[in-house]
Parts: sequence; structure tokens; C-alpha cells
Amino acid sequence: MMKKGSFLGLALALGAVLVMTACSKQEAAAPAAATAVSDAPVTLTVWCWDPNFNVYAMNEAAKIYQREKPNVTVNVLDITDIEQKITTALSAGEMADLPDIVLNQDNSIQRFVQTYPDAYLPLNGKVDLSKFAEFKLDVGVYEGKNYGVPFDNGATATFLRRDIVEQAGFQVSDFNDITWERFIELGQVVKRETGVAMVSTVAGSSDFIMLMLQSAGKWFFDDEGKVTIKDNPAVVEAIKTYKALVDSGVLLQAADWNAYIATLNNGTTASTIQGCWIIGSITPATDQAGKWAVVNTPRFANVDSVNYSSQGGSGWMVFSSSKHPDIAMDLLNKTFAGSTELYETILPSSGAIGTWLPAADSPVYSEPHAFFGGQKIYEDLVDYASKVPRVKYGVFNYEARDVVGRAAAAVLQGASIDAALDEAQKYLEFQIAE
Amino acid sequence: MNNAMKKVRPAVAFMYAFLTLIALVSAFPFVWMALASTNKSVDIVRGRFFFGLNLLENWSALFSAYPMASSFLNSLRNAVVGTIVSLFVCSLAGYGFQVYRDKAKDRLMAVLLLSMMVPFASVMIPLFRMFSQAKLLNTTLGIILPSVSTAFLIFFFRQNSAGFPMEIVQAARVDGLSEFGIYLRIYVPVMAATFAAAAIIQFMGVWNNYLWPLIILLKKEAQTLPIMLVSITSGYTTDYGILMLAVTISTLPTVILFFTQQRRFVSGILGSVK
Repeated sequence: MMKKGSFLGLALALGAVLVMTACSKQEAAAPAAATAVSDAPVTLTVWCWDPNFNVYAMNEAAKIYQREKPNVTVNVLDITDIEQKITTALSAGEMADLPDIVLNQDNSIQRFVQTYPDAYLPLNGKVDLSKFAEFKLDVGVYEGKNYGVPFDNGATATFLRRDIVEQAGFQVSDFNDITWERFIELGQVVKRETGVAMVSTVAGSSDFIMLMLQSAGKWFFDDEGKVTIKDNPAVVEAIKTYKALVDSGVLLQAADWNAYIATLNNGTTASTIQGCWIIGSITPATDQAGKWAVVNTPRFANVDSVNYSSQGGSGWMVFSSSKHPDIAMDLLNKTFAGSTELYETILPSSGAIGTWLPAADSPVYSEPHAFFGGQKIYEDLVDYASKVPRVKYGVFNYEARDVVGRAAAAVLQGASIDAALDEAQKYLEFQIAE
Repeated sequence: MNNAMKKVRPAVAFMYAFLTLIALVSAFPFVWMALASTNKSVDIVRGRFFFGLNLLENWSALFSAYPMASSFLNSLRNAVVGTIVSLFVCSLAGYGFQVYRDKAKDRLMAVLLLSMMVPFASVMIPLFRMFSQAKLLNTTLGIILPSVSTAFLIFFFRQNSAGFPMEIVQAARVDGLSEFGIYLRIYVPVMAATFAAAAIIQFMGVWNNYLWPLIILLKKEAQTLPIMLVSITSGYTTDYGILMLAVTISTLPTVILFFTQQRRFVSGILGSVK
């Protein structure tokens, strides 16, 4: 009896310790009562993820806002894998620990709002959204309401090695306003004359296909959210073009993202066609200073499209669990949607190019960039952004990208485009019906 | 004898050459990682394989831009506490399953082993809900609790206890030692090698755990190392010098633990009781 008793006692003691720890934490974490008085100290929490980029930008925004509202403290956190965290918390219905404001990838704003319609607050009437590039606003619209304040610019461009194309007998301007067919022709000459591939990408990524589609103002879904892959001329043309890029030897496929960055830094590619945030990975190769230039993105020859597209980018959203939603929205309204000073501050030190169009009039945006041979690249990129066609990414954007990426890989290995897209369409419809 | 030696020699030479090659291949990522932590990001991307002069800059950038010190301490605290508690619970369970063995307990063990097949992702959301309601988010207890008792470790202890001599247990009972005393004074010292092996396995598990800490640690101050490592790569631009230095530092505790316990680890895995 004694023996069993001491054993049981130990187990109980251990259990008691666990329970007591749990209880003491519970008391400590009890939320303070919210007050509506405007001068009372308020702390807003913001989640984003890149210390040199969006964390920095939000901290600068907080400084500007605090001049007007010194009682507001903004706690900006660099959070890893935000989408996973938010998905778990929202699926569990536990919003108490979510922040007031979160930065969300443009690709998934609609997905989150549709899946968790009560979790986010519409911004209409609280934040002035009239001066942003239209395509950036569209990615944050659900059922006619806006849920995202656009932040960074994903406008694409062709980032070109001036020295390499000149060695092949071309001018930088030969690459501006061209079609993909022309791009491939020029690329073949560049490859023949210099031995360097014209452009590089990550093998198996669907980035090229996405940016081609957006340049035609098309996506994988129609307005009612129905899948339109197989009879979508833009998708067919994008896959054909992608295959032509690979077959002609113009496109260098890197094994992964790091190898792709290496093709830029090592000079094993003459260009990259990417969202403008790629500048941050190009400029550290200081020995290439002055050798780069920026022109716009190629377009389709046979499908209605323009020389402008977008890749990546993100926007600020406000959670409905926020205790100070009006202050959170006021912060966004007076900074990201209303302060030229903010964009002037963050551009030179972080390269964060906004899509708030009035900022482009600031002299900071027309500074020549030495790394790009004195070209006024920011002015050009904001101009590109204003011309990007609007598309609706929709709720099943990630799934659609996956199946089309797989279809493209099958086509590269010899499958017929019709068959591959037919299968992609069926597979995606099946997934959505699930 | 001499003939036999001569015959063996080429085989031994070949074996050593082969093992050296395997050792080089295994060590290469670590050497590259350590060298890369002394270089600039752009040089690492370009494939430079030599010492660089950027270690101090990487160091100061890592410690100023990221909460390296606090993440390291958090990880260390979670791993040490998690390992100790888990070793205690699982060894006690394994001991019980073996020493008080009967048919019902064997069936229970089989059910326990089945639980290894339930993927963590399927229990994650209900678990998060429970922990959130119990206010265990952002706490060490919250991190270690789901992995305190694992079917694998209980099974590991039970299997290794098979060689534990029951005669000692009976003799100790006759001498009046309590059941828990037998566990603590006799079983634990005799099974030191098993404990060492289990400690390394569990320490690595908690140290490297990513998904569960990621979702329950919502505060910056509670962040652990694996989460911080991923945050270094999450921006549009990754500084590989900083990343490699952080990875090198995060490898050290496991390396130290393994090399100090290597001999015991090997014999523990082999399941020998001396």
C-alpha cells in the first residue's frame, strides 16, 4: 500500500504543478479593459515579416502617426509563417491573440476574407483608398468591400544586363515594348553571341505563367468564380510561350530560389523578369554596379495584352478582434494611404516602392539610381504599376497555381497542351467541389 | 596467421577509404555552413568555399536585427525542461509496462503505438483551441506538454527494459525498497545508456520542433530558434551570411550533446544493459 501510495502521490503532485502553472498564467494574461477615450494610451500590434522591408516601413509609419497621436504606441512584430498561424487561430475560433493589423500577401487576401468572413473589417469610409493603383486595390476586394490597404509594389519589369546585351549588338531600348516572340528572337542572338542565357527562373515555378496571364488581364476564374483554364486563350498562350522559352534555350532553369539568385549575381543570365522587389537581390553584387537597366515586361503577340504585370506584393488588413479598430484604420489612412513623407523615407533605405500614386510625384522617386546606370527606375516602376491590368485572384488561387504549374511541367515533357489543361481544369474543379 | 593478415589488409584499406569518403560527404554540409558564416551573402550565393572576413559583420547584424540571444535561450530552456520531464514520464511508463507486465498492458501498449500513426496536423487545431482556452499560449509548458509523453519513447524504454534483470527488483522488494525507490535507485542508474540515447532523441525533437511552437508562440519574446531561422529567409531578400551564422550557432547544442554522449548513445540504441 505504502509503495503504491507514494507513487500515486508523486503523479498527483506532478499534475498539481501543471494545473497550478496553467492557472497562474491564466490570471496574468487576463486582458485589460478597453477604453474608448481618445487620449488614453493605446497599443496597436502589427504582424508582418521582413525586418528590412515591411517591419521597417510600419515602424516609420508609426513614428509619423505618433506626431499626431502621441498616445498611440505601435508594436510591430516580425512574425514567421503568418498565414499558418492565422489559419490555425481562425480555424480554432481563437482570435484573442491575433494582432490589430496584419500584412497579407496579395495572393491570399481574398482567400482569407472568404474563408473567415467575420475575421476582418471592411475599410471603406475609414481609409481613403482612391489614390492607389487600381490593380492593387482589386486584390483586396470581396463582395464589393475593400479589406486591404495596398503596401508594396509587385509591378514586374525586365531587369537587364546592359553590358551583355550590348556585347550581343543590341541596345537596352530594343527590349522595351516587345512581344515574347521578339524576346525569344533577341535572346537566341544574345545566347549565340555571348554564351549567356537570356533569362532565368526557378525550375517548376509557375511565376512566368502568372505574370503573362495578368498582363492579359486574365486569371484562372471568371467573375462567378468558375474555373476557366482549358478554354482560356491566355492560359493556352502562356503555356505555349513558356514552352517556347525553354525549347529555344533562352530560359535558364535554376534548381531552386538560391540558385536562381546566383544566376543574377554570377552573371550567368542576361536578364530576369520579375516583380520589382527583386532589386533587393540584384544590387548586393556591387561589382555589377552600372551594368543593369530596367525595361517593361514582354507581352503576347496573339492575345490582347499589355507590357505590364505584377508578381507578389502585399496589403495591410485589420482584424475584427481589434480592440481599437478605428485607431488601427486611422493609422493606415494617415500613413500608407496619405503620407508622401512615409514613402519618401522608406524608398531610399529599404527599396519599398509603394502603389500610392501621389508618392510618385515626390522628388525622391525621380532620383537617378547609380546601380542601374543613372536610370530613374522608381519613376519607371511606378509608371508600370499604374498600367497593370486588374485581375481577381480569387479564393482558390494557390490551388490553381499548383495545377497549372503541373500542367506546364507536363507540357514541357511532351504532353499536349489541350490534354494537360483539360486535366488541370478537372482536377481544380474536383478540389473546389470537395 | 600471417597469410590471413595479408588477405585482410586490402579489404581493411578499402573499408577505411570508403568510410573516409562517407565521412567527408557527411561533414561537407557542416564545413560549408561554418565557412559560409564568415562570408558575405553575395559571395555565398556565388559558391565561395573559403574563410571570409565578414564574420563580425554577420555577427553584429544577426544580433542587432534578430532576437538571436532570446531565441537561443528560449529554445535551450524548452529543450532542457522538455527533455527532463519527458524522460521522467516516458521511462516511468516504459518501466511500468515491462516490470508489471500483463496481457491488458500489452494491449494498451499496442493502442499507444497506434497513436504514432495519427499525423500531428490533424490534432493541431483542436489542440490549439485547448491550449488557447487554458491560457497556455506563449509558455514553455504549452510547448513541451504535447510532446512530454510520446509513444515512441515509452516503447523505446519498454524494449530496452526487457534486459533489465527482474531478480534485482525482487531482491530490492525483499529488502523493503519502495516501488518508486526501485525505479529511482536501481533502474535509472542501470539504464543510463538508454536514458542518454533517449535524451539525445528527445532534445533534438524539442530543439528542432517547428510547427507547434510556430502556432502557439504568438509573442516575439517567446520565439524559438527554428522559427527565427525561417524568419531570416522570409523576406524578399535573404542575407545568407546571417542565415549561415545563425544555423551554425543553432547546431552547436545538439553537436555538443551528441559528442559528449556519443558512447552512451551508441550502446543505448543497441539496447545493451551492462
